[in-house]
Amino acid sequence: MRAEELKGHLDALLLAALEAGPRHGYAVIEALRQDTGGRLDLPTGTIYPALRRLEQAGLIAGSWSVVAGRRRRCYRLTATGQQTLAGRRAAWREFAATVSAVLEGGPCPDPA
Amino acid sequence: MPGPGLITGYLDTLSGQLPWPVVEELADGLEETYRRHLGLGLAPDAAAAVAIAEFGAPELITAEFARAHPARRAARRLLATGPVVGSCWAVALITSRAWTWPVPMAADLVPGLALVAVVALLAFAARSTRYRPIGRAGAAGCIGTAALDAFMIIGVLAADPAARWAVAVAITASAARLALNVRLVRPVLAGNGLHDTGQAAAVFGEGGRPGDAA
Repeated sequence: MRAEELKGHLDALLLAALEAGPRHGYAVIEALRQDTGGRLDLPTGTIYPALRRLEQAGLIAGSWSVVAGRRRRCYRLTATGQQTLAGRRAAWREFAATVSAVLEGGPCPDPA
Repeated sequence: MPGPGLITGYLDTLSGQLPWPVVEELADGLEETYRRHLGLGLAPDAAAAVAIAEFGAPELITAEFARAHPARRAARRLLATGPVVGSCWAVALITSRAWTWPVPMAADLVPGLALVAVVALLAFAARSTRYRPIGRAGAAGCIGTAALDAFMIIGVLAADPAARWAVAVAITASAARLALNVRLVRPVLAGNGLHDTGQAAAVFGEGGRPGDAA
């Protein structure tokens, strides 16, 4: 799956990767890699600006720590981020069910 | 960071374009990536090359950080207010017959030239993919916009104390933009909003670079 196909979904993926607990940038990348079975094909360096963008939006909070003599920035989900993730998750379920109903046949989800 | 010159060169390129704390975070991730490939059995040079390829071209990363720059968002929002606030002032000055006011020629020319400069700065900040210039242009554009708004409010009140309705509307529009500007400019001026300078200073000293603390 390429970066263009992820447009609009990357923020939700990053929020979901932080749901289990605070992680630094590389750990977020690894979580995405593992959860997707390595199918995500995007330049991993672009995860960092996306994390900063989410931080500026107040969805995650970053803090510095020192690990093995190296400074490392860790991120955690804020309360606003948790609410946003819940909303994105619900919207994705509805979207996926609606598209699947058309592409694969089956009941369309209740709009309510 | 220890490792082949390939990685050092890559980070040097990034550090020429991005703030040090950002590069430091990228370096941490790149080192982890490099170590993972070493652990998978690649030779150091190959591991470095694969790690860099996974990370992406420096221009791509810099452009992504530029897109996330608070100065870019501030510039776009201020530019969006331009037509509305500008129209309010155009109506106010025309209905007030501003050309009959006894003001020196400089008071007519300077705001116009300043407006062109401010719009150019904001347009640059809103469109550029070069991180550092975005911060500088955005900050200058925000301050310039605030100065223009303040100049117009004070100047018009001084020239025509019996403000007509159109002048009142224009002053309100400029005051609202000043309030917006104050909110937008804060993250732009506070280290571009991309690093908490307090903690950086605590670890590295005021300069924010390793070794500065000593």
